Amino acid sequence: MAAIRNTCLSSLIFVVIIALIAVVYAAEDQEQFFKRGHTNNWAVLACTSRYWFNYRHIANTLSIYRSVKRLGIPDSQIILMLADDVACDPRNSKSGTVYNNANQQINVYGDDIEVDYRGYEVTVENLVRVLTGRLPDSVPRSKRLLTDERSNILVYMTGHGGNGFLKFQDAEEISDVELANAFEQMWQKRRYHEIFFAIDTCQASSMLEKFYSPNILGVASSLVGEDSHSHHHDPEIGVAVIDSWTYYTLSYLERIKPTSKDKMHNLLQSFDKSLVMSTTKIRTDLYKRDLSKVPITDFFGSVRNVEIVNVSLDVDEKKFSQNVMPESQQYYQDGIRRQYSTQFPIIEVSSLNDKLYL
Amino acid sequence: MISKYYYLSLLYVIFISLVPSTLASVKANDHYHEELVLQPLATGHLYAHFQFTTYWNVDISDKDAFKHFNLFPKPLGQILSRYDVEELHFALTQGLWRPDWWGYPLISSPPGAELSAWFSTNPSQSIDSAWSGLTNALSGLFCASLNFIDSTSTVSPAWSFRPEGASSEKNINSSRLRYATLTSETICTENLTPWKKLLPCDAKAGLSALFNSLALYNVFYHSMGVHVRPVCKTKDCKDPGVELKQTLSLVFDPILHSGSRDWNFASLFSKVIPSVCPMATSSQIFVDVSNNITYGEFTLNPPPHSLTPMKYTKSEVYAVYDLNLIDFDQTYASHGFNLAMEWKRTKKYGRGLKPPLYTHRYATGVGDENGGIRTRIYNHDNKDITILYMEVVPWYFRLYLHTFKILCNKNSTKNILLNRRYIPGKDRSRPYLLELVLRLPSKSSTTITMDFQRAFLKWTEHPPNAHHGFYISSAVISAILPNDINTTTPPLISTKRNHDKEAITRIYTEALLVTLPTPDFSMPFIVICLTSTVVAIAFGSIHNLTTRQYQLKNVEEAKKQNILSRLISLVLPFKKK
Repeated sequence: MAAIRNTCLSSLIFVVIIALIAVVYAAEDQEQFFKRGHTNNWAVLACTSRYWFNYRHIANTLSIYRSVKRLGIPDSQIILMLADDVACDPRNSKSGTVYNNANQQINVYGDDIEVDYRGYEVTVENLVRVLTGRLPDSVPRSKRLLTDERSNILVYMTGHGGNGFLKFQDAEEISDVELANAFEQMWQKRRYHEIFFAIDTCQASSMLEKFYSPNILGVASSLVGEDSHSHHHDPEIGVAVIDSWTYYTLSYLERIKPTSKDKMHNLLQSFDKSLVMSTTKIRTDLYKRDLSKVPITDFFGSVRNVEIVNVSLDVDEKKFSQNVMPESQQYYQDGIRRQYSTQFPIIEVSSLNDKLYL
Repeated sequence: MISKYYYLSLLYVIFISLVPSTLASVKANDHYHEELVLQPLATGHLYAHFQFTTYWNVDISDKDAFKHFNLFPKPLGQILSRYDVEELHFALTQGLWRPDWWGYPLISSPPGAELSAWFSTNPSQSIDSAWSGLTNALSGLFCASLNFIDSTSTVSPAWSFRPEGASSEKNINSSRLRYATLTSETICTENLTPWKKLLPCDAKAGLSALFNSLALYNVFYHSMGVHVRPVCKTKDCKDPGVELKQTLSLVFDPILHSGSRDWNFASLFSKVIPSVCPMATSSQIFVDVSNNITYGEFTLNPPPHSLTPMKYTKSEVYAVYDLNLIDFDQTYASHGFNLAMEWKRTKKYGRGLKPPLYTHRYATGVGDENGGIRTRIYNHDNKDITILYMEVVPWYFRLYLHTFKILCNKNSTKNILLNRRYIPGKDRSRPYLLELVLRLPSKSSTTITMDFQRAFLKWTEHPPNAHHGFYISSAVISAILPNDINTTTPPLISTKRNHDKEAITRIYTEALLVTLPTPDFSMPFIVICLTSTVVAIAFGSIHNLTTRQYQLKNVEEAKKQNILSRLISLVLPFKKK
């Protein structure tokens, strides 16, 4: 009896140990899963306000664009949507520039900007289509979000908003539910690895509340019931040039270089309510990683992992030279001969003149 | 010393001979030229025209050969090949060119975006689908919202536009042509960025190094263009080729910036030319010095390399600077090449020469129901001029053909209207197209009148800024002007076009901004609020009146109750006794 009990006990212990090991491995697997990381970075930056007095919203978006480009994300992986063109607006005393500071140190418009959706193209429909990837075939590559399941996406939106909506060009709105559904569609189609969603509008945190897809880190510039404020006016331009929350985000990001080891936690804790004048809301329940271990360049920069292989390739020179273009004389032999045509057409004089000439 | 050079030349010869034969047999198939024309205008402005031309000895319809891109930009070439485009003209302009102040430009374009394409004679897809694909692809390439071009703004003009390149058709079929204008399109740095990336030297060397976006958009007139056409070197066209012209026209106002007519590259562009583009076969600057005495006296610093007469009039000359002859390594190494013009004395600023043909167009009418378009064309020449007039009006300005009138202030025995082609518009599918052939009498002004009725748009068809109004794009006037008039159309070396075919002058009128009756967009919101309030108040009151029961309460008994039971009786009115 004692022997049977002993074997029972030992087998029980054995099973328990196996179970423990299995759990440990499973936990390690989970850790491994989150350590797997992203391989490419994308950014969707949308400014939804039109008109000259919303200069600051465009300056907001361009400030983030500038930071993201500076830290390495190429133009081909940034979708920039600007609802109005203030740089070349006739009201702009300094054409071709957008400043985010009254002392006009940095021209955030720059010399090398590519705006993908501009003017009337910035609509709710286009934003949702870009995010979910459901675009007609004729849309060119530069206007598509070609992400995969290992892409980290930074989504930044700014404009006028309210409790549960964001206004597009003073004509339509996107609601929190629509945005959450768009992100869920992206998750189901495996169109992102992680999303960092930042929004700078009044009552911005209401847009975060309805998210239900995993791996979304949301940051909003103000709580429900609070307004986000503009930072300061520029007397020469005549309107406010930047919003407070983005101003402080930018002043932090300006210190970051592509090789910085700063973590997201540092950025998100750097907002001082007395300076920003609105409370920053952070939503981390959908985001499993520890923010003090996530580098800022995971979202704002584009740090690519390079794998070096010791394989040599043989490039056959002869194959190359065969592709060199042959003389195009055979085309002429097909009989298609070109000629210039007269620039002024030969037109008959019609007979209806008499009735019309006065 | 001599032996050293002998050694070097020997090494050079050995090196050349060692180059594999395959590479040596590939001859240069394309070449690239850069030109800048600077012309001081009578009004004190400065006209600067950049032209970057790439010639490629390949037939544009030969898809196999049109794949091996070298100097010809690949993004543009792939789009042209994919959509069977034979000829493409694209221009983005800010500002209006004023012929009565400045004469005629080298290449004219209307305000906003203008896109016209001739498709190949045997396309692999329907021309409409190719056009829609082309507009979308170009909108992505040039960061402009050309994808708004659809059938409501596209026309196929039969007379005003003919292929500028060599086509394989003898009788030109205008159904191969698609033309559209978007007047509301703005132009800014984001359009310049991809455009300058199409150049072989980008914006790093040669003339394109002058591009500084802060200076380029602070001008009176800015026009950026891309023109692709098939060309022939000889009359029998045994070597077909493709010419890509990228043009940038600017009109500066030096007086506004510095107070005087003096200018130099650093004051205009805030940049100087650091080096010559190594890909360019020729890189030249032409300065129009014909009006040196007429406008006041100026000097050019540094002095030009040579003087070239303009083609037809021998008295007018260009000062030519060849960047390949400039020593960028030593003389201009530190400061770059900065061309300067200094004026000694200036005579009174004037409007300069009166061009033979100029125009003015305006909208008429009051209220939101009707309106009219008036175009006035002035012919200041001694001879009659035959012109082609084309007007495209969106479908929501419904033109009425019976209101069409032509008036001339000079009685002429000959007819003014020679022919007319009118295609009426269709709601939400086609715009109105009016093409006229007019013979304008000498020294006269002719007015073309047409009235329209404004349509009601559906609520969702209004743009977000509906009260801004809607644009009627510029009308196009095309004419062949005799060459012995002092018009400012000097041909450049690389625009030596079409052998002996004449060059056409195009004048674009003003674009009109007309309002349509707009609804009150806040109406649904107000109605919903009002109705909901009324319903809530009315329904609530009536419900209360009809369903509530009133009970009599004994006042004395109520006073005897304590506070607690009073409160309870307030909360639970139906408490049984």
